[in-house]
Amino acid sequence: MSRRARQPPSARLPLAGGLLAAAWLLQSGLPAVAAEPVAGTPLSFVACPVARDTGPDTDLCFFTEYDGHAYALVNPPDWGVPQLKHRVLVEGRVGSGPPVCGATPLDGRASVLTELDASCNVVMPFDGINKGVAGGVFNSGTPEQRAAAQDLARRAALDPRLSIQPAILDPPAPPPPAPPYEERTLVITYPFDSDRASGPDMVKLKALAVYARAAAARRVRVTGHRGDSRLSDGSDLAEKPPLAEARAKKVAGILQALGIDAAVTQVQWELEAPVGRGDEDWRNRRVEVTVSP
Amino acid sequence: MKALTICVPSKKAALEFPMNHAQHIARRLTFGLAWGLAIAGHAYADAPYDANEAWWQAGVPRVMPGRVEYADATGRVGVLNADGPFDTRGHAFFTPLGSNGRACVTCHQPANGMGLSVDSIRRRWEETGGKDPLFAAIDGSNCPTLPQAPRASHSLLLERGLIRVALPWPPRAPDGAVVPPEFTITVVSDPTGCNTDPLYGLSAKNPAISVYRRPRPVANMKYLLELPHGVPPSDFLFYNDKSLLPRNPETGAYVSLQLMSDGRDLTLKLQARDAGAGHLQVKAPLTERQLGQIESFERQVYAAQSVDAVAGELTAPGAPPGLGPEALHSGAPARLGNNPINRIFGSFAMWQQPAADARVGADLKAGADSQPGTDQSVQRARRESIARGADVFYLRRFLISDVGKYNDKGLGNPFKRSCGSGCHNTLLMGMDLAPGYMDLGLNNLPWANARPDLPLFKVVCESGAVPQSYLGRVMFTHDPGRALITGKCADVGASMTQQSRSLAARAPYFMNGSAANLRELVDFYDRRFNIGYTETEKQDLVNFLSVL
Repeated sequence: MSRRARQPPSARLPLAGGLLAAAWLLQSGLPAVAAEPVAGTPLSFVACPVARDTGPDTDLCFFTEYDGHAYALVNPPDWGVPQLKHRVLVEGRVGSGPPVCGATPLDGRASVLTELDASCNVVMPFDGINKGVAGGVFNSGTPEQRAAAQDLARRAALDPRLSIQPAILDPPAPPPPAPPYEERTLVITYPFDSDRASGPDMVKLKALAVYARAAAARRVRVTGHRGDSRLSDGSDLAEKPPLAEARAKKVAGILQALGIDAAVTQVQWELEAPVGRGDEDWRNRRVEVTVSP
Repeated sequence: MKALTICVPSKKAALEFPMNHAQHIARRLTFGLAWGLAIAGHAYADAPYDANEAWWQAGVPRVMPGRVEYADATGRVGVLNADGPFDTRGHAFFTPLGSNGRACVTCHQPANGMGLSVDSIRRRWEETGGKDPLFAAIDGSNCPTLPQAPRASHSLLLERGLIRVALPWPPRAPDGAVVPPEFTITVVSDPTGCNTDPLYGLSAKNPAISVYRRPRPVANMKYLLELPHGVPPSDFLFYNDKSLLPRNPETGAYVSLQLMSDGRDLTLKLQARDAGAGHLQVKAPLTERQLGQIESFERQVYAAQSVDAVAGELTAPGAPPGLGPEALHSGAPARLGNNPINRIFGSFAMWQQPAADARVGADLKAGADSQPGTDQSVQRARRESIARGADVFYLRRFLISDVGKYNDKGLGNPFKRSCGSGCHNTLLMGMDLAPGYMDLGLNNLPWANARPDLPLFKVVCESGAVPQSYLGRVMFTHDPGRALITGKCADVGASMTQQSRSLAARAPYFMNGSAANLRELVDFYDRRFNIGYTETEKQDLVNFLSVL
């Protein structure tokens, strides 16, 4: 989509005014600044998130402003949605798809920073344009779960007594692992300064534990990493030193709780954090779990 | 035209009331017959209290009926003793086991949905001149060192229904080891005198922090104890930080943590043992037989509102299916209810205005119309209000913001949900299914209601500690909540959501009794989250909550 150049509110917007101005410009369908962000360009910066209401029956979405442009803040499920009262560390590449949350998409991650920052506190009201999509029982979960919910909905519409039967069933158990057993690795990534993994990653970890038990793994290696982040302005953010160890030990503890013998579990962590490159540095903040049959 | 009867709440519980449906009459006859046989078999001619007496006094032999109803604020609460009637003589739940004359039942009264209402407390004070074991110095008064005769020494119990809970400082792990806290705590205000008391306070030989909390009901336990379904990996991990859930020390199974507001006791048995030592002042630990009796009883007792004085019988055919204790007995525990089918407590469509009634089967609608109640137009208006309240509870979204241990557990701040699709999402029960503690603002300033009657603490966290996400590292709180167990700065003020059944029978509400009635409860949420409920929405919500 081509955009016409228009006099921007400023070349580099002061944060609060910049956000509002950028939001206004986005609503007007006009570019915020003369220089368009180029798809694929790495970006790394710290900024306040802005919450946008997306309609009466849908969730909020979040975006932020950097160098006069608004960028959407979207993470994988349960990786951590941005929070007002906290700044976010944004590490990604400029995306090429349609606007998300009324902003340019970013492929990457947004980490909520730990410290309180009361200045990050802007909620944009619903503008009638940036509408959200409602989630729910009929369009999430496994096909079996969705079908069961649809069936119950039909029957409960005729007989309300059925409305207290569970609409969300447990997902069917995955088929048990079968040979040949080969080496498998799971990489779990983390928000900055955090050892909280996402729910989906923990579901994968549980499946890997099942696989390791089925394969009678002779070794399960857990390696923790931390990583610094090089910001686009040239400065660096460093994670707390104990995080590599904390991440590794937490994952190893969960594996052992899931039945992996401590005797075959090798837990290690990197003492040094790799220097950030300013391009997808979030990938350094990880734990690797390798199952060797 | 059928004769209509008004069900008027009275001081004494009445066990029978008019019903039109043969099915219900038969059910009543069955219960009544079983009860009568039980009484005859145990020869209770010497029982000093009438079986209709609402207050269950510790150690006074009675029969626990299979089903019983008691008058409450808006109708009647029903208690289903699913395994059937039994003689309470010698039963550990009903028998004083310690030195102060209390039993479990003292604070978990059937007439209060197995909880304890402030109305019952006040009545008991008047009936006994404050001599009932409920008012025991150890925790039924503001502090044991106060003179015990004056009413003022028991003001927190009499005014807010609060029991003193003394927790060690620094915190202790279950094995007695010290849990190093991430914060210091000082007493800013001590209206009860207990936190600065040389025997019971922070400077005592065994330093303790006294906080004041409502007893939670011991009913509908399967919903609290079963691990959550449908929200993996919360069947073995905390939602908040994805760390492992604790385990039952006896079985090794993960525990749900829904049992207590601060999670300090993991199982019913451990809770009973702890309550025996603290609240009952037993000299020796409860025996395995006593613990087993208590747990067995608690696991099979269900409580929910059974009759609304205006809307009528809540368990009759055609009534909303999630109401009454029988629905809880047969219901599936630990399931997500925040979907358009379940709507947390099931459908109320049969009580909606005619336009919505088209969705209801004709036979059920007929059943709904035939229920007893007051004047039909008044009854219809009440039912419609309740149904609108169910809609407000499930559908009316608002911005949930700055809730420590909630918005920061991956959901985002703010997070837009309704009451039901947010924190109160468990099917039929209304607590948060994926176990997690949260600081709603009940105890921490600036959100907490003004409570000059409660102690106020200042918490200062270490500079390296993860702060409370929205209050930082310096906080003022009436009750540090979960942080008194974990020692973590981020947990200050956090507590576990609780079930939403039998509400009309057990006011006041919230863990510190801040809401004297359901209207004050709704007003708190309205203020805390700037919801902007209309007056009609508030009243509809109150009416809805009162039939749960």
